[in-house]
Order: sequence, then structure tokens, then C-alpha cells
Amino acid sequence: MIGKKLRLFFIVWVWVLLSIGYNLYAEPPSSREYLVKGAFLYNFAKFVGWPEEALRDDQIHIILCVFGKDPFRGALASVKGKSVKDRKVVIKHCATLDELEKCHILFISRSEEQNLSEILAKVKNWNTLTVSDMEGFAQSGGVINFVTVAKKIRFEINLDAAERTGLKISSKLLRLAKIVKDKETAEH
Amino acid sequence: MICRVCIGFGKHSPSIGRCFWRAAMGALLLSMVAGVSLAGAYDTEPALPVDLTELSLEDLMDIEITSVAKKAQKLSEAAAAVFVITNDDLRRSGVTSIPEALRMVPGLQVARIDDNKWAITSRGFNGRFSNKLLVLMDGRSVYTPLFSGVYWDMKDTLLEDVDRIEVIRGPGAALWGANAVNGVINIITKRAEDTQGGLVVAGAGTEERGFGAVRYGGKLGQDAYCRVYAKYFNRDDAVFASDEDASDKWDVLRGGFRMDWQGSGPDALTLQGDLYNGDTGETIITKSLDPSEPQTFDEDNEISGANLLGRWKHTISDTSETALQVYYDRTERNSVILDQVHDTLDIDFQHQFTLGQRHEIVWGLAYRSVRDDIGNTFYGSWDPDTRDDDLYSGFVQDDITLIKDRLRLTLGSKFEHNDYTGHEIQPNARLMWTPHKGHSVWTAVSRAVRTPSRTEHDGRLNITVLPPGSLLPVFPGHVVVGVVGDGDYDSEELLAYELGYRVQPTERLSVDIATFYNDYSHLRTLEPGDPFPEMSPSPVHLVFLSTADNKMEGETYGVEVAADWRPLDWWGLKATYTYLQIQLDLDRDSGDSISVSAEGESPHSQVSLRSSIDMMQDLSLDCWARYVDDLPSQEMDSYITLDVRLGWKVRENVELSVVGRNLLDDRHPEYEPEFIDTIPTEVERSVYGKVSWQF
Repeated sequence: MIGKKLRLFFIVWVWVLLSIGYNLYAEPPSSREYLVKGAFLYNFAKFVGWPEEALRDDQIHIILCVFGKDPFRGALASVKGKSVKDRKVVIKHCATLDELEKCHILFISRSEEQNLSEILAKVKNWNTLTVSDMEGFAQSGGVINFVTVAKKIRFEINLDAAERTGLKISSKLLRLAKIVKDKETAEH
Repeated sequence: MICRVCIGFGKHSPSIGRCFWRAAMGALLLSMVAGVSLAGAYDTEPALPVDLTELSLEDLMDIEITSVAKKAQKLSEAAAAVFVITNDDLRRSGVTSIPEALRMVPGLQVARIDDNKWAITSRGFNGRFSNKLLVLMDGRSVYTPLFSGVYWDMKDTLLEDVDRIEVIRGPGAALWGANAVNGVINIITKRAEDTQGGLVVAGAGTEERGFGAVRYGGKLGQDAYCRVYAKYFNRDDAVFASDEDASDKWDVLRGGFRMDWQGSGPDALTLQGDLYNGDTGETIITKSLDPSEPQTFDEDNEISGANLLGRWKHTISDTSETALQVYYDRTERNSVILDQVHDTLDIDFQHQFTLGQRHEIVWGLAYRSVRDDIGNTFYGSWDPDTRDDDLYSGFVQDDITLIKDRLRLTLGSKFEHNDYTGHEIQPNARLMWTPHKGHSVWTAVSRAVRTPSRTEHDGRLNITVLPPGSLLPVFPGHVVVGVVGDGDYDSEELLAYELGYRVQPTERLSVDIATFYNDYSHLRTLEPGDPFPEMSPSPVHLVFLSTADNKMEGETYGVEVAADWRPLDWWGLKATYTYLQIQLDLDRDSGDSISVSAEGESPHSQVSLRSSIDMMQDLSLDCWARYVDDLPSQEMDSYITLDVRLGWKVRENVELSVVGRNLLDDRHPEYEPEFIDTIPTEVERSVYGKVSWQF
């Protein structure tokens, strides 16, 4: 038999959970989150080394591509045009696989979760730093994945994936990251 | 609909007034919750901060992506006498319970009555049933309304998972309620994401017969973390002053969980709960009318309880945040004096926001309902023996920046309506002056009240029975002597004036000084009444009762110093000094003869010195010396005692430790309890070993 007070306790909490549910549904992700992630992308450009071949084609730019539904919505404004190692950062948006070009950094939006393996296959030989914030991205072969722990942004790095793409990641970045391995994939 | 809600609350049909209050309160709280959740849907874009690309990686990782209106104020900036016991302090001091940890706080008087009972207070008026200190565990009040105090033998948790214990001496800032007259102790446990993985702790010793605890924390889905724990301990009997073994054992099995969830949206949720069941022993001298009943006997108190607490934080915007906390608590305690069951439901809503450039405002509303059920006995009876009390309260506080970074004024007040004294108002004002980085001076004036406890209002305690012929040779029957509460018993009042200074002359040294002058009025006295005959229980006997009244005034003043010095990288020293003077005066028309003795029931001075040494990579040595002045009213001598802990990190995640406590004396007494005749026991020299393994 549940006492009256305990009953009231649960009634209040059902109300609270409904309110939270409503918020979750109605609330778009805070743009503050993507301002911070954008600043991280700029930092990745600073602390990641690309092999000579990747940098030969375009001597003046670092190309940052956003693939899929754009979660940044203008948050990249402060990154655009900034210089990294004498190169200016340019932002490109790609909606389909065909539009994907040789990017130095490729941010894959959560909207593309279903096509992940196709995307990663396509950029395999381009020395592209693949970044995302979808669950399991690093284990699936992406290089860097954003995770949110208690309201703060952290990131995971898959060293094997980085190696496969020919990238050199500075120790400054590695020591702040959570190192992750490829998950075992079934042989195709 | 409203009346159905009302009738659901009470056993008996409530009066219209009460019904209205409840309905109004309920409607107000629920509509606020609704308003707040809808407001979230119309979020304003947060102001774009400075170019984030300028920040370092570490700084970026420190940014909270859902920001809080009130930047969590650093405790060093609070205009109050604050002391924090950290998780490290708990670990390195070797304490095994919260009361023992409180000994390192300046301004607190901590005395052990027996193995499971404590007399703990802040700034005077100590006693087993000391009533001027509010204790909270993660925001849940753990004091019993029966005597406005804390049953320390029932309040415990896994110490390894305690993040910190914040102690604020002096009338709690307006945010806490009545009864935070001389201080607030807030025990805060770690968030679930900080206690991931497993922890096993086990140990045994001469006084700690055995103890063990297990905790495991894991992740639940994307954004939720949780942990569960179980803890058991068994403490040996101590000894009486007479050298015989006592029966004050203490053994409890306790378990609980905590879950924290933080989505990417503006909401965060915490849910936690605990369960416990145990026994505490004591030796009581009871006198009864029946000559065949034993006079002194060992009894086992059964204690058990459960609680469930939920907290919801919602960020409305960059400058506005709300929090709703609801908890349910049930405690049961069975002893020879009384059986009691308490059921509490507490709903607490707070909103904090900034107004313009200079104002940070916090306001809140709370409702608490406490229902008790007491099994009366000859020794203790309460009329009515079951009672359902409602407490409505609200508070508001404005933190005003007069001169940026230099001068801050905080004005606030708490308002409440309780079922004993009606309306109470507790305003306070605090000023914080920081003339120069590293120095700050603060001062505060506050009014606080301690509302009547259930016992002071409805209780009667039969303290002793004198055999026939002993008091009045003429009278052939027994004489019962006791105390009784009174419906007109009023709140005790305090007007407190405080002044403090904090300085950090070097990076390695910081000193915190707090002084206070407290002006009390309407303090409790026990006014002897005329004797009267009583028929039941038989045989007929004469009764002398002293009635609770408010006929005493008092002043207390003191100084509390805390210093933290790190002379070398591997050696740290923490020292505290407490000085206290109490002056009590009875009203002219008072016939009380015992309450003034409270002047000599707290030590005039106390010193605590802790030394922490990190020897070699894995060894740590901690020594803790304490001096406590004598208690003149009890003829209790002063004592000096020493605890030593040696810790060894055998591996990265395994630590062994050996702790010796009260090493300087074979044993020493600390306190004589009041009202209930428990024979106190002495604190013995002891040692225990412990292993702690994390995985």
C-alpha cells in the first residue's frame, strides 16, 4: 500500500517528466553547443598534420566541409577566414555523396548516420580528418567524435583510423582525448 | 476537483482555510512548473560571447554548453563563515562517520556521548537533543521535528562518495529555513558520472568490529549515469567510566542509488534514494512505578528508514534557471522510550535570474508536510500521538553588485507559516568588501528563529521516579518528576552580528577568521509547577512537572580561525581554533534551575591541527591532534587526543590504510546527555585497518 505522501511524490514527478519530454521534443539543440564545436574544429586544424600530397592541390586554403543537415547554422562564422599555418579556412556545405570533394576536415552531421559507411568509404583515400558528434562514430572508423559529458564537450580519437588516413595528430590533442579503437566488424 | 485533492491529503476532513491553502499552493507550484516548461520553448538566443577560437583547448573543454544564471559562487566569496570538508579530508583523516568528520570544523562543538550518540552543535547550546543546527543531505533535511535535532545514529552514507560537506556557521543565509539558527551542515554526494566503475571497501579493527561497502556506477543510455551502493558496519561496545563494558553497539545495513541525467536540451534530472535498517544499543536508567521492572537495562533501538529524492533543473536562458526538488522521507525508530514513525513530503521550487547589470536574484517557494505516529510509553508521551503538520515557506534574495569586484550587498528574507507559531520572518543583510585581490572583509546582520519542536509543544517526558518516602516523608507513594511541553511555547529568537576576514598572503597560505555576537531571546526554560496526583498508570503517585517556557535570554560571542598552509609541496597543515563564551540570564519571573547550565556545557576553546605528509610515491601519513576545553557544568575534563593514519597505494587503484584513533589516552569521556538517562560511555583508544579497491 503506497502512502498518500509517496503517491503525491510520484504525481509531481510524472508532471515533471512530461514537461521535460515536451522540452526535448520542442527544443532545438542549443547553438552554444555548436559554437564550441566550431572552435574545436578550428583547433583540430591547428593540431593535425596532413601528408604532403593532401596539401599540394590547394596551397592557400584549409577546406572544412559540413556534410548533411547543417547543425552549425552560422556558428562557423568566427572560424571562416581564420588562418592556420598560413592557410585560410574555407567552409563548404555538401548535401549528397557526389558533392563530396577533397576536404581537409569533413564534419559529418548526425542526419547522415545511415550512410556512414558509404561516406567513410568514399573519403578513404583522401587524407580527410573525419569528425562528427554521433554515437559510435569513432568506433565505426571516424577519426574524431564529439561527446557531451555533464554539459561539457569532450572528444574521442580513433588512432587507427587516423593512421589509415595518413594523418599525424599532435600530442597536445591526444592527451586531452579519449582514445578509442575500431569495433570488431563482421567480414563483408 | 479541488476538494477531492484536499480530502486526499488528510485523514480527517481539513478546515476550509487549510483546504484553501493546500489548493492554492498546489495550483501555484504546478502552474509555475508548467509556465517554466513552456517558457523553455521560446528560448532567446544566448548572447554571442567573445570569439571562441581565441580560447585554448582546455578552456573550450571547460565551457558548459547550457549555462547557469548564477555562476556558482566560490565559497571564498561568500559573506558568511564557511568551512568545507573535502573528499580528501574525509579519506585522509580516517574518520568512519560524519559526526567524527565534523570535529575538524571551527565553530562546531562535537562530543561523543556513546558509540552511537553525539552531541553536536554550532556556537553553543550543545546537547544530545541540540536544536539550533540544520543538517541537509543533498538538499534533504535530516533533522527530526520531534525535538528539532538530528538523530546522528540514523544519518550516514558511503563516505567515499561524499563530494564535500559544507558547513556554514551562523544563521543560514535566507535560503534555508527556520532552525538554521546557529548553522547549516550540507552533505553533498558526488554526481553519478563522477562515481563510475566499482569500489569495494572493507576493514576491521578493535572498535570497528567490521565494515564493508560496495558501489558500482555505470552509464544508462546516452546521457544518464547511475550508481548503486550497499554499506554495512558493526561497531563494538565502548566502556563505562566504571570500566565495565557497555552495550552501545551500532550496526546498520544501508543501500541506495543515484541517477543523473543531462540531455543536450535545457533540462537536467537527478534521482536518488536510500534504504537502511539497523540497531543501536544503549544503557538506560529507567525508573518506573513497578518495582519489579529493572532499573538499568540495555536496550536495542531499532532504526530504519527510506527516502526518495528528485531534482529537476531547467535553464530558461543564459541568465535564468529554475530548480524543483521533491523528496519523500520515512523514518522509523523503536526504543523503550517511544516508538516513532515520521513521513515527510517536501516540495521546493527555486528560480534564479539576473536583473540588469547589478542584480542577481533568487526566490523560491516550498511546502513541507510531516506526519508522525508516536507510540506512547510511560517514559514519553505525546498528545496528540499522531499529527500532520504543514509548513509553507518562501524566500527572496538579491545579490547587488555595488562596485564591480569590490563591494557586494546581499539582502534577503525567508517567510514561513507553520502549525505551531504561525508566521515567521527571518531577514538578513550581508556585505562583502574586497579591497584588494586576496583580502576580503565581510559582515552580516541576521534574524533567525527556532520554531517549537513537537516535544516542546505536545510532549511529556517522565524523567525519573523517586521511591516512596524519599522526597516527602509524609507521602507514601511514588513521586514522578518530568517535563512537559506547552501549547503556548514560542519560537526562540536570535539576532546575530557577524564579521569576518579572509586573506591569502601567499599561494601556499590562507587564513579565514570569523567573529560573531549573538543576541538570543525567548530561550527555553523549564518552569517547575505545583505537584498533582495522578491515577494512571497505577499505583497513585504524585507528579512534579516542569513546563517548557521561553524565559531566558542570552548572549554568545566568539572567534573562529581556520588556517591552511602548505610549507612544502609534500606537506600540508590545517589548523583551526575556536573560542566561545556564553552568558545566559533568566527572566525575573522564571523558576528554572537547570537551563543556565548550558553556559558550561560547551567548551570555551578548541584547537584542531592536522598534518598531511606525502612520503615517497605511494605512502601518506596524516596526523590529527585535537584539544577540547573542559565542560564546567558537567565536571567534564579537558582532553587532548591524537589520530594517525598511514595510507599505502599498493597499486593505482588499491589503497591500504591503518588508522589509530584517540591514541593519547586509554579512554576519555566527552559528554553527559540530558533528558533521557543514557549512561554515557568513554571514547577508547582504537585501531583499524582498511582496504579500498577500485575497478
